[in-house]
Amino acid sequence: MFEGLFSLLSSHSDDDDDDECAGPPPARIQQEIAVLQKKNVPEHAYHFFLDEKKPYVVFAARTKKRVYTLRIELSGFPNNVPKVFVTKMLKDKYGEKLDSADGSMHVLESEHGWTRICHYGDASWTPNVSLYKIYVKCCLWLNMYELHLETGNDIEYYLNHQK
Amino acid sequence: MLAFVDEQEILDFRAHCAATGKSPQDVAGVACEWEGEGVLHFHQKRPLHGYGKESPCLFTDDCAALEDPVCIEKYGYIVVVAEKTVAAFAQYPKDSAVRKECVWQNIDLQYIPSRENLYSRSQGILEVGALAAKRVAIVGLGSFGSQIAIELAKAGIGEFSLLDFDRVELHNLMRHTCGINDLGRLKTDALYDAILGKNPYAKVDKFPVDINQNLKLLDQEVSRADLVICATDNNKSRFNLNEAVVRNRKVCLYGRANTRAAGGDVFRYVPDGPCYNCLLGNAWYDAESEEITNVESARHNGQIAAYVSAEDAAAKVQVGLSADIAPICNMMVKIALVELSRGIDSGISSLEHELVYDYYMWANRRENRFENWSAMPGAGAKPTILRWYGCRIQKLEGCAQCGKSGFAELDEGDDVEEMLKKISSC
Ligand SMILES: [Zn+2]
Repeated sequence: MFEGLFSLLSSHSDDDDDDECAGPPPARIQQEIAVLQKKNVPEHAYHFFLDEKKPYVVFAARTKKRVYTLRIELSGFPNNVPKVFVTKMLKDKYGEKLDSADGSMHVLESEHGWTRICHYGDASWTPNVSLYKIYVKCCLWLNMYELHLETGNDIEYYLNHQK
Repeated sequence: MLAFVDEQEILDFRAHCAATGKSPQDVAGVACEWEGEGVLHFHQKRPLHGYGKESPCLFTDDCAALEDPVCIEKYGYIVVVAEKTVAAFAQYPKDSAVRKECVWQNIDLQYIPSRENLYSRSQGILEVGALAAKRVAIVGLGSFGSQIAIELAKAGIGEFSLLDFDRVELHNLMRHTCGINDLGRLKTDALYDAILGKNPYAKVDKFPVDINQNLKLLDQEVSRADLVICATDNNKSRFNLNEAVVRNRKVCLYGRANTRAAGGDVFRYVPDGPCYNCLLGNAWYDAESEEITNVESARHNGQIAAYVSAEDAAAKVQVGLSADIAPICNMMVKIALVELSRGIDSGISSLEHELVYDYYMWANRRENRFENWSAMPGAGAKPTILRWYGCRIQKLEGCAQCGKSGFAELDEGDDVEEMLKKISSC
């Protein structure tokens, strides 16, 4: 069910950006794939685009209600915190676009018209963090986002609630 | 009047005369005078950034120049370089009574020491000849990098590679070695001058670039260096640099201050030892309490998240005193000199018995994370205020940066998986 989606996403290109660095070395990609397999993420739920000028990986993320696509940019990964986008512009309960940095919703300034999730701070990041963990964190965010649409509580509320 | 001439220039001048056999060999140089202070510096070439009042000065090996009316017209000063002696002459003022008898007055001359003699006073403590052949790459020329660069130049390090894309700004000045005159200049240019001001024989290569966008250059400069100083203010560049020093097997020193410079730490990477990424998971290390000195760069690097308001971001900038970061810079300089002197017999080598740790902590005040540290009296072996505390760091099993490629033990996020399970069942 994701095939059409991936071909659509792979045509996207952007020019802004800070880092010229290449993506992760092949050995790391192999390890990331091994983790995804170990965690039973179905093969059709992710796809790596490594030959692009700015490599990235796309994940399908399923919540109770719908399926979203997450795009994780791999330039400079794993030395840098990678940028993660939900590949559409999400709106909050009140119809406002989630397109600018907001601590309570854990989103950052959007790019390419897509909502960007704030999933890791610089101080807590380490190169040992797997893409799988980022994927799970973002699935967590999407679930909290849908609860937000129902209740109006923000992401921060649910994160604190979880702890 | 105090006058100085560069001994190395005189040696080169004599060598040139001897090599070409030409006589007289004249060089039109420059005299820089600190006006009103009665101080003169004679140079054969105009210094890169001239200073004081400049006037023409002739360097010659023929004292006949003193009689030459063209020279009297053209030069305010003449330096006569003989085989064994050097003498300097200044013209008497035009309205001086003496001038009728004699145009030139002899002035006392002192040497700016030659390459060989510049660091003769450090000899015995440091093996100056060996250090002159060492190359240090300094990444980040802020309050840490600038102090360290100059101290290393003073110790006689001969080659530098300076990497920083930033310019000297007002908010840097209080803790930076650069002064008001340097405002707006690239830090690499300003430090270039400052290093040459201490050691005119140093070779300094400048790279005003963002290393995160120039990883190949970073790798090249790391590979050429004998030691690397990491004085950047963010983890992104530290991880990129860490990867380069591990790959190139170079000693690297990482230093930083905690919030308001209440304290700080120094981490030493040596090949096959624990790396910066290994340090991060260690209980001693507190990533969150890092000092933030500049909102703009902290936002750019993600230290201050984009959603933090301008007001809250400004509150996060809590800069400590220059005097509070000086001990941390000083420790980095000492470790650098010990590492660069390894295998060479010198006075500083005895410190190899002290500086055996990977990680060193320093507290300036009992504040924030140092709140509960013991007072110095009675602290015994425990960490205390105003005293270095060293500890060994374990290598991180499966470190993504210093471990075997393809064998990193990745964080698979078991903790977040649990949270996801809970929330999905809501
Ligand atoms: Zn490591």
